[in-house]
Amino acid sequence: MLSRNIRLLSRRYSQAVTFRTTESSPTQQNENQVGLFYTMNNDVCKQLFAHGGLPKSFMKQTKTFTETALMVRLPALDIIDCIKVTDLNKPVVRYVLYGEKGAGKSLTLAHLLHFAHEDGFLIVHIPWVSDWLRRLPRDKEMSNSQSREGFVDIPLDAAAWLLHFKMQNQVLLKTGDLKTSKEYVWSKRESTPAGAPLAELVEHGIARVKYACDVIDVLLKEIKLLSNAKKCKTFVAIDGFNSFFYPLTRLSTPTKKKVAPEEVSLTAPFMEITKNDWTNGAIVVTTDQLAVPEDRQENYLPKYLLYQKGFEHLDPFVPMEIGRYTEREFLSCASYYRDRLWLRGPPELESELKLASACNPYNFMELCAPL
Amino acid sequence: MKMYLNSSKMLLLTRIALKHAFPKTGLSSYFTKKSTFRIQNVYMYSSKASSSTENVYNNFTDWETLSRKKKVSKAMKAYLERAKEHDEFMKRQQFEFNIGKRHLANMMGEDPETFTQKDVDRAIEYLFPSGIYDPAARPLMKPPEEVFPARKAAEFDEAGRPHHFLFYTGKPNFFKLLYDAAENIQLLHKYEDKVIRKKETPDPNASLDLNASVWLTKDQLEQMLVEAINDLEYDNFKLVMDRLVSLPYSYRCKEFIEKYRKTLSTQRFALEIPKPSYDENGCAFVTTYECLRKKARGDVTIKCPGSGKITINGQDLTYFEDTQSREQVIFPLIFTGMENKVDVVANIEGGGPSGQSGAIRWGIAWGLRSFVDKSMLEAMQVAGLLTRDHRRRERKKPGQPGARKKPTWKKR
Repeated sequence: MLSRNIRLLSRRYSQAVTFRTTESSPTQQNENQVGLFYTMNNDVCKQLFAHGGLPKSFMKQTKTFTETALMVRLPALDIIDCIKVTDLNKPVVRYVLYGEKGAGKSLTLAHLLHFAHEDGFLIVHIPWVSDWLRRLPRDKEMSNSQSREGFVDIPLDAAAWLLHFKMQNQVLLKTGDLKTSKEYVWSKRESTPAGAPLAELVEHGIARVKYACDVIDVLLKEIKLLSNAKKCKTFVAIDGFNSFFYPLTRLSTPTKKKVAPEEVSLTAPFMEITKNDWTNGAIVVTTDQLAVPEDRQENYLPKYLLYQKGFEHLDPFVPMEIGRYTEREFLSCASYYRDRLWLRGPPELESELKLASACNPYNFMELCAPL
Repeated sequence: MKMYLNSSKMLLLTRIALKHAFPKTGLSSYFTKKSTFRIQNVYMYSSKASSSTENVYNNFTDWETLSRKKKVSKAMKAYLERAKEHDEFMKRQQFEFNIGKRHLANMMGEDPETFTQKDVDRAIEYLFPSGIYDPAARPLMKPPEEVFPARKAAEFDEAGRPHHFLFYTGKPNFFKLLYDAAENIQLLHKYEDKVIRKKETPDPNASLDLNASVWLTKDQLEQMLVEAINDLEYDNFKLVMDRLVSLPYSYRCKEFIEKYRKTLSTQRFALEIPKPSYDENGCAFVTTYECLRKKARGDVTIKCPGSGKITINGQDLTYFEDTQSREQVIFPLIFTGMENKVDVVANIEGGGPSGQSGAIRWGIAWGLRSFVDKSMLEAMQVAGLLTRDHRRRERKKPGQPGARKKPTWKKR
């Protein structure tokens, strides 16, 4: 009874400030909704982010709050507007999201992914590049590539990514419009004929983990061709893109030789797809300090993080800084936390939290956790 | 008689402090005194009894002999001896102190005649630099009357009879104080009755202002009474005095009340607080230099019409990565409610995050004094914002792994 009263009281308190919008489709959102939270449909969320895409701490919070609520922020809206008005017959435009640690780059990317999903894009999304190149769980499998000399395969990760791709694009893949352009021979007995649906290619990669890396290579080439042929429009989203340009990965060949990112067979196809030599698509990448080791975390600006090589690879691109919360965003976030009973106590608490967190979204979330 | 005169002079010179006296003259000595007095009485009684065997008539008329014999009681004798001893001791100490002072003056190359106590303190601090935290434990050279506690004067005459009518309470001065207070209360009641009988109204202007002062603390009262009192007795003292003060005509015994009150030093900061200076935009600012804590040092500038912007070494509050340091910095601003009214610019170097944030915290609080009102200033002082933290890293000791840490105990 008491807890219900508290809940009602805090609900009533939180209703004094608008922090929610009922406009849950990113295609329809506009400047009026800046700083407001919208709730993502559970099915869509599962479809898009079941295999990663949302930061882990945010996932935990969504579980606690029993909903996935994203804040509509200006950088995301800007990019959505840009993508809407872009002429898709021109070469693809590349957007680079950058900003401090915990500023919300990944969540902005998630927002954009939701938009791409609503808008019918074919989504090519890497949840976190460092998971491939820098994370070394015990069961990580590394092997020399069969098809290309001197390259290292990470077949399990590749298969997992194919699963992720299949999950995100299940609707588009089911329609069966997307067909391969030529025949691919994997071995004496296995081959994918020309005109087979892409779904079959993906299925093959998942079933035959050995060929997963090659399948991704082929798949991305096909996607490029299909986009050029106006069969589909493609949205490429890569989180922690600068990890591809850090001189060394933590992977090693079976002979214990250190591996550079260019020697990983997965790097090349994604480098290809982030070039602007194809049309009918959009590319959004993030550069993140957390994607590289601490010796390269002094600055959050893209040129520093991407190195000269990556910068030249992406050039020309549209940089988009994800900043800290503005006054309005902060208040809306605080009242959202109050609504979720995540934050309690006197109203003066907000000003202190604002100062202590320096309006950094992640810091604010962490500070509120024990309150 | 001559001896008595001498001793009375001595009595004037010396007083006994029960609390800090030598082991010989503490409370225990007081009790021994009392017991010898009793034994003496018994002894006298018995001597009288023995004399009665010789002459029965003398039993009734031996006052003269008795008084002649009792001119100086044994207790008095013992006391006089002790007093003399103490007096000589003090004289010797005084002599040694004067010689020492002259030596010190010569050592420091100054004129011994004009060498004051202040100079002595400075010289000692220079010659024996000490980092001991408690100032009372540092080397000192003070006049003997400051070093050796005062002693209570004799409480009885040469016949062994106490001067004070409350001598046998054990704490005559304290109970005299309560007695006086109670008497004053009765007098005031009587006066009030008289005024009522005459149908007059009390003078509204003649009232007692007690806001600027507090009752003496227990220690202060003990020092004043030269008697040790316990907590219960101190509470009783406060109770009685409060009752006296609460009476409508308490101003009539103002003198008595004032004697046991101490004025508060509220004006301590008023003189030191700097007036803010103004820059070309008419913006008030105060700069605090030498903000120190641990190994960190720096300066903090506070600009008054501001928007709550904090700049530390050119960065904002994210200069500190951990929450604790950030909270340290914002605490004085939150406490005074000035977080959106002032801008803070800090330059800090040396030390680690906690030292730097502590130094900035002190600098902000110190600078904010110019922008807050008096009550807030008091609150800040009570909150400990205006107190410097002088603690430094403690050195590692040889033979053990840390400053205090001892090696792991191992049986063999």
